[in-house]
Amino acid sequence: MDAEQLYDLLSRCAMGDQQAFKTLYQHSSAKLFAVAVRITRRRDWAEEVLQESFINIWNHSSGYNAAKSAPMTWMTAIVRNRALDLLRRPREVEIDANHEEMVASIPDESPGPEELLKRSIEAGALAECMKQLTGDQQRSIALAFFNGLSHGELARQMQKPLGTVKTWIRRGLERLKSCLDAQGI
Amino acid sequence: MKLANEDLRNKLAAEYVLGTMSAHARRRFALKLKESPALRRAVAGWEERLAPLALALPEVEPPSRVWQAIESRIRPATRAAPGLLQTLSFWRFSSIASGLVALALLLVVAVPGPVAPPAAETRMVVVMNDLKTRNPAMTASWEAGKPGKRALRIRVIGHAEMAPGTAWELWILPGENQNPISLGLITTHNTQTLIVPEALAVKLDQARGLAMSVEPAGGSPTGLPTGPVLYAGPLVET
Repeated sequence: MDAEQLYDLLSRCAMGDQQAFKTLYQHSSAKLFAVAVRITRRRDWAEEVLQESFINIWNHSSGYNAAKSAPMTWMTAIVRNRALDLLRRPREVEIDANHEEMVASIPDESPGPEELLKRSIEAGALAECMKQLTGDQQRSIALAFFNGLSHGELARQMQKPLGTVKTWIRRGLERLKSCLDAQGI
Repeated sequence: MKLANEDLRNKLAAEYVLGTMSAHARRRFALKLKESPALRRAVAGWEERLAPLALALPEVEPPSRVWQAIESRIRPATRAAPGLLQTLSFWRFSSIASGLVALALLLVVAVPGPVAPPAAETRMVVVMNDLKTRNPAMTASWEAGKPGKRALRIRVIGHAEMAPGTAWELWILPGENQNPISLGLITTHNTQTLIVPEALAVKLDQARGLAMSVEPAGGSPTGLPTGPVLYAGPLVET
């Protein structure tokens, strides 16, 4: 389903068309659930995130502005934000303690962040620009994005000082932005 | 957080979208987002830049209980059975729809009637003006006279937004003391096509004009306009 069709469905949702909303769910929930599962690492949390996100999408469909972002981008951001907020709630301490087990519990078939990075980017501006980053910059950005890791968790995972990891991310993002800006993205 | 600086805005927006901010920082940032369009733009920029990454994950089917929970939380759309109002004449609308009444008066006076059925393949055009500003706000055109459905080409001029919980409904104005007939809901898209079923095609071809009213989400619960008429205009043969 392309952006145009998704946009049409969202417009119909804004008019209270529940059938359109169901179709929207059928065509996008699997992609969005994957995002929630990946970041929260728990199926029950991911289900909660997905449910809340879609209620949010239904209620705010009239506020969706196609000029500002593509439909999937808008919906993904809603899911990511909810997942990250859930993940970062004061039970943070509990998560850190179980972090190693949680990382280990992700089934082997699930692609690692670097693999995802390679696969994700069908020849596009982002792919070209990513190539201009150092390996460390790419890895830290991929881990942060796909696994929803905070700076502290990244430092632990990559076994590097906090300052180093922060710098990789900051410089990596700066380079990405200049590269994409130069291409008019 | 001093956010006057564009570089700082960009840096923080990137961290927010990437997901590296702590819970505390995320909360504070989310509040700032509400107040700052510039910050929202910076966030939207990063969401767009990183979007291809987000779409990379292999799909995971959610269990059906998630959809069931969502469905049960959405207020079901109800359409009240056509009742008393349907039997009242055109002139006895609620006062909210009085704009429609005034317009109908204008049309009846301005358009010489009765309207004869148009020849086949006549292009019909309606320019609907904003009743407040008198500026053209929407146009609709279609090929009249042939058998079967009609494809109504609608253009919304400029940028329009619907208030949350509302819908735009398009109406045929048959004139001559007849009630408006619903053509269904339309969107605020600049270009759209509305398919009008065969059953309404003749009424459409012989309409005096078209009008758009703002209804509750899901459309008028009564089958007649209940909300304010924003745009309306007479039918012209080209």
